[in-house]
Amino acid sequence: MGALLARRALLAIPTLFGVVVVAFLLLYVAPGDPVLEMVGERADSATINRLRKELHLDESLPRQFAHYTGGVLRGDLGRSFITGRPIVRDIAERFPKTLELAGAAMLLAILVGVSLGVLSARHPGGWIDRGALALAYLGVSFPVYWVGLLLILLFAVVLQWLPPSGYGRPEFLILPALALGSRSIAFLARMTRSSMLEVLSSDYVRTARAKGAREKLVLLHHALRNALVPVISVLGLDFGSYLTGSILTETVFSWPGIGRYVVNAIGRRDLPAIQGTVLFLSVVFVAVNVITDLAYAAADPRIAYD
Amino acid sequence: MSPLFSRLPFVALLLLAACKGSDAAHRRTLIDARDRYDPKSLDPALSTDVPTGRAVSYLFDGLTRFSPDAKVGPALATRWEVTPDGRTYLFHLRAGVRFHDGSLFHASDVVHSFTRVLDPSNKSGRPWPLYPIAGARAFAAGRAATVAGVTALDDSTVRIALDTALAIFPKLLAMPVAAVVPAKISADFSEHPVGTGAWTLVSWQHDDFVLLARNSEYFGGAPKLDSLMIRIIPEPSTAVAEFESGNIDLLYVPEADAQRWEQSDEKKALLTSAPALRLWYVALNTTRGPLKDARVRQALNHAVDVHTILDKLLGGRGHLAAGVIPPTLEGADAARVPYAYDTVVARKLLAAAGYAKGFDIELWVPQDPAFARVAESIQSYLAVVGVRVKLVQRESAAAREAARNGQADMIVKDWYADYPDAENFLYPLLHGANRGVGGNVSFYANPEFDRIVSLSRVEQDSSKRTALYRQADSLSFAEAPMIYLFFYNELYAVQPWVKGFVVPTIFNGQKFTDVSITAH
Repeated sequence: MGALLARRALLAIPTLFGVVVVAFLLLYVAPGDPVLEMVGERADSATINRLRKELHLDESLPRQFAHYTGGVLRGDLGRSFITGRPIVRDIAERFPKTLELAGAAMLLAILVGVSLGVLSARHPGGWIDRGALALAYLGVSFPVYWVGLLLILLFAVVLQWLPPSGYGRPEFLILPALALGSRSIAFLARMTRSSMLEVLSSDYVRTARAKGAREKLVLLHHALRNALVPVISVLGLDFGSYLTGSILTETVFSWPGIGRYVVNAIGRRDLPAIQGTVLFLSVVFVAVNVITDLAYAAADPRIAYD
Repeated sequence: MSPLFSRLPFVALLLLAACKGSDAAHRRTLIDARDRYDPKSLDPALSTDVPTGRAVSYLFDGLTRFSPDAKVGPALATRWEVTPDGRTYLFHLRAGVRFHDGSLFHASDVVHSFTRVLDPSNKSGRPWPLYPIAGARAFAAGRAATVAGVTALDDSTVRIALDTALAIFPKLLAMPVAAVVPAKISADFSEHPVGTGAWTLVSWQHDDFVLLARNSEYFGGAPKLDSLMIRIIPEPSTAVAEFESGNIDLLYVPEADAQRWEQSDEKKALLTSAPALRLWYVALNTTRGPLKDARVRQALNHAVDVHTILDKLLGGRGHLAAGVIPPTLEGADAARVPYAYDTVVARKLLAAAGYAKGFDIELWVPQDPAFARVAESIQSYLAVVGVRVKLVQRESAAAREAARNGQADMIVKDWYADYPDAENFLYPLLHGANRGVGGNVSFYANPEFDRIVSLSRVEQDSSKRTALYRQADSLSFAEAPMIYLFFYNELYAVQPWVKGFVVPTIFNGQKFTDVSITAH
């Protein structure tokens, strides 16, 4: 386990370096001058030149890159051009909120998605199966912002059960988690169902049933555990993408997470904020992938990494 | 079926029911959701955009301020005198004003605040309102140790000397960037601002809300409400849902939705509006291709049916523009007639300029649903007279950069006044000194126009100044450096329980001191 972690960490270094290079270059190729965004609509060229110099934007690209990577290696992601706040602090403020939302969405997806999948697999073609299939199609096809707005309309405006948007008490979490998790619920339900069906037709399940094990035990202990291996990989991918900021969900529900932070930063050409966030989120993504791999091994001891 | 699974939906319902309940009824906090994004900072020196400027105006005061109907009046200065040559101002300061931290406000704070904004190490993006002060530019460029023109004569008098006379100077001092900060500035001032304003900061949760509490010691009279919350809601539909649930009190109705709101009687009752100092126009880059010819630019004005665009796309919420000066400001000429929609005249002008067969041209459109619709109609109107428009839709920062660098033939945009004066339209939008980054993205350069505007800036007599404004506006209108669209009347939705809210004509003109919430 330790060796695996160490190797994955080492492999992540070139990946992350690539991320830094690409994020850096892309921003210099993209149109939109960061200094023009700092000064607002009416500006004077003296201020623009002064700011450009202060921010080292008048230096050559390699020098700017060296300057930036030097900072990154010292753990300093710089300060936002727009707000002057340290990027590290901005991320530290927002990431836990994104984590909260992603965690809730994932939990919901696992509870509902896997349950639906198991139930569907138990009676293929039954009403639960067909209902779950319809739900899955809807969940996969509807764009998340639309689902989000519908949820707000139903639960906040019409029924007045939940607040439409915002952050804070637990009730603020329910609608965004539902909107964000809807795709995963649908996907996991289908995944679990097909994986379960495959496992349920295998020899050892027949053996388990033959020896008289109770159906619940067969389903949840024997079959589900094996059926979960492919499901875990989907879970890992989804979780990774939720953590890197669910831009639409965070926007629709006014959730002050990292997705909105990075979108704002892009709109204002806040280079250090964009680069810092992209780098940080890449680290998160790599970490989630490693954890997913470890989870495989836990679910299926035959999988070994060496 | 396993018992757990069968109970899931039921559990979920219970959970939802437990969360029911809205507390709109007994609030003493007004919740304003006009801002789509977080203020940059709460430090006046860093204020360059509307959410920041608005928040700063709650927390701080300048020497002068704007009323909701955009008149400039006394704030930290109770009165001021100007020498006959218009170059020296004497501001008499209010006595006994305290900052939120309890310290007394002195004349030296004014000197310190202005110096701080101009200080090159402060990364202030918008020092220009203070540039007219003598020695300000030299100090900002690092060539002087102090700002020579601003002096505290005693504890309650500040003398400000200008490089040249500038009649609008007291208005510039009502801008957020000229707000007065205390002498002791914490390292975290941007997050923990200390001003003299009507409201004090309680908490700022980034991208979520800014919570302010009344300053019961406020010199202008303590606010009637206990607190004011600025909620940041990026998605307009969500803001509408919040409004309909009674969770927010004040909403900016997006341009694209205005018509829909006005069609519903129930919603219409909640709407309020005032003519904003906001011009919508299509800047024509007068240095590019066919647009160099004034006849072509006039033809484009004649070819677009602005009246129908305003009526159909923006619910008729505005005045057709016959010049850049909003009708509510001195200098606007009510008698001047907008370019008539007349394709025959347009074709004749194009033919006279040698473009009888039309030409190809690009119209840049910053990302915004209302701009996009307006641009599409302009495209089809121009097609009728043979001008083939290619729409270039770009995200706002990219479109703005192209326009400022002179790479855009035409761009649809708006201009929102920083201070209520015709100068704020004529000078940045069309004066030769402001070509490009200064705001003149038409790259219009007419020495006669520049001369008149420059004269108006120094003219002390207000009726003479107004006449100069009118003259400059007529001159540029005839040369059509833009397609003149309209002055938009902003639309707000206000809950019935909010009393005393007046739509501000200028963005920082409403400090919510006289606003209250009644029982409902």
